[in-house]
Amino acid sequence: METKIKNVMAAVFEMPVENINIDSSPDSIDNWDSLKHMNLIVALEEEFNIEFNDDEITEMMNFKLIVEIIKHKLQTDR
Amino acid sequence: MKTLSYPEILKLNNELGKSVKVKPYRISVISNITIHQIKEIIECSLRIENINAIVEIGDYDNIIQDSTKVADSNAVIIFWELCNIVEGLNYKIEQFEEDQINEIAEKICLEIGLTLKNLESSSLVIVNNFSSVIFPYLCKTQSNFDNLANILNKHLSNVAPKNVKLIDVNKVLCQIGIHKSIDLRYYFSSKALYTIDFFKEYSRFVKPLIMSANGKSKKAIIFDCDNTLWKGILGEDGFENIDMSAHSKSGIIFHEIQSLALALNKQGILLGLCSKNNLSDIEEVIRNHPDMLIREEYITIKKINWTDKATNIRQIAKELNIGLDSIVFVDDSPFEINLIKEQLPEVKVLQVPEKLYEYPQMLRSNLGLFYNLSLTKEDLVKSQIYKQQSKREELKSCFSNVEEYLSSLELKIHVFEDDSSLIPRLAQMTQKTNQFNLTTQRYTETDIEIFVNSDTSKVFAWSVSDKFGDNGITGLCIIKLNDKNAEIDTFLMSCRIIGRNIEFSVMDFLIDHLNKIDIDSITAKYLQTAKNAQVADFYKKCSFKILHENEKESKFSLELKNYKNKNINYIKLENGNKN
Repeated sequence: METKIKNVMAAVFEMPVENINIDSSPDSIDNWDSLKHMNLIVALEEEFNIEFNDDEITEMMNFKLIVEIIKHKLQTDR
Repeated sequence: MKTLSYPEILKLNNELGKSVKVKPYRISVISNITIHQIKEIIECSLRIENINAIVEIGDYDNIIQDSTKVADSNAVIIFWELCNIVEGLNYKIEQFEEDQINEIAEKICLEIGLTLKNLESSSLVIVNNFSSVIFPYLCKTQSNFDNLANILNKHLSNVAPKNVKLIDVNKVLCQIGIHKSIDLRYYFSSKALYTIDFFKEYSRFVKPLIMSANGKSKKAIIFDCDNTLWKGILGEDGFENIDMSAHSKSGIIFHEIQSLALALNKQGILLGLCSKNNLSDIEEVIRNHPDMLIREEYITIKKINWTDKATNIRQIAKELNIGLDSIVFVDDSPFEINLIKEQLPEVKVLQVPEKLYEYPQMLRSNLGLFYNLSLTKEDLVKSQIYKQQSKREELKSCFSNVEEYLSSLELKIHVFEDDSSLIPRLAQMTQKTNQFNLTTQRYTETDIEIFVNSDTSKVFAWSVSDKFGDNGITGLCIIKLNDKNAEIDTFLMSCRIIGRNIEFSVMDFLIDHLNKIDIDSITAKYLQTAKNAQVADFYKKCSFKILHENEKESKFSLELKNYKNKNINYIKLENGNKN
């Protein structure tokens, strides 16, 4: 799942997958602005067939949190 | 092709952005809402077709200002969202009085006029109709919101000049449903209204317009016969038992297919048959079957034989003088479909669906492939012209040499100078001509209009006729004048008149004409494409000198006094202008 997320992030932020690590956040990725964040959210939603709520969207501000939130979502949804 | 997911689109678009090397095609999107996600989706849908699309998104809610800055883009898309033309209009409007609504309508009509004026010299402006259906007032047929949309749409279609093409957003919304089209989560926080699904569908509506502007519309549709144009197998079931009747359950589907094919033919799309059958059996059906709609006069080319279809389709492309990528092929057999896919990947193939009732809708949903930005008189008689062509080919084989054959044709050229009535046809020729085209510059009607009306450029068009008939307007040369120097911007001829030395007669005429208006020298360019190798030497043959030359382009120049007239005695050239 983490690889999948990394791939989506790489596509959204137009960067190599290798450069994404556990601490990746808007601070370390120049391209990660509010519009790209929107792209990231809908891309992840389509990839995992889930829907985030407002709080989750504001919270998902680094790779680690994104993984946690998606993990949690996939468990509770099933 | 299967629909790609959004992450897949982003990834593919990135890759294609690096690998598609052709000249960039710049599209500006200006809007009063947040629609940045449209960028990669439109880019990707065009880059797949080898159009190097670069989409630039304008500032948020700044349509009028932006419209002054983007007129030189290859295309402009205006996304004018009704619910945000006034903040919160969709919920406020139902309490407004009539004069308040009229005031808003007036203001927006004015802004529409202003915006389109700013873009009047743009090649192609794509504008969405206003839609009220996203915020429905279900029990009312005409809410205030609906009324406003109607007023604005009426105005829009009244004032839209030729370079504007309207997209009916309601059709886009219908295709996928409103629930899947909008995502209000981001509307309240960021004024982003539409979903990725909406943008994917929307790009399917825009794509045919841009494909046409890039000379990538399909020109011919080739049908297999058995179980493609009629139900049944002629060789097994017999003349009596094949079915394409409007009055039988499965026949009616083929009746509809044949009707759709005739409608395409009416717009100038060439119809062809390619079937493994006995020619005489098929001809009997074409001539005498009471339910057959596609009669001889609509069919431009037939390959009815037992040769493999890849060879036949290659032959069809050759005889019609069009590229394989201009052809759509329809067949019911997975074997034939796969054969063509493998051997001729440039050909677009459509397989008759297993669920037969889906067949007409399948064909209908692919009609965009044939979309033509400017439909002209020449299109409407095109199949006849191509038939004359095959008569000429027959005659050719009776003569021992080509000159002798050409002399027998009684060739006549009419040249028209800066003739504004020809603008649609001239724009279309720049969009569609690939082979005899020195620079392959694509122009819209608006572009051509500017050349025609300008003092610093001249537009020459010519028609060619012979004893078999008139080919219509089939040649174009655009010349830019700069004091004593002239530059040939465009020199192209339709493939229908290639091989008759028409170009040399025209060059004689052009040089003579330029001499008369005191031009001393000409510069010209050859820009190589995948299809125009046959004209690489054209300027050399016309006594031009090479200035410099590499794989992609060559530049030429000519002092007029050094020009040697070709004086081709079997071609008559006349001035076509009426005065």
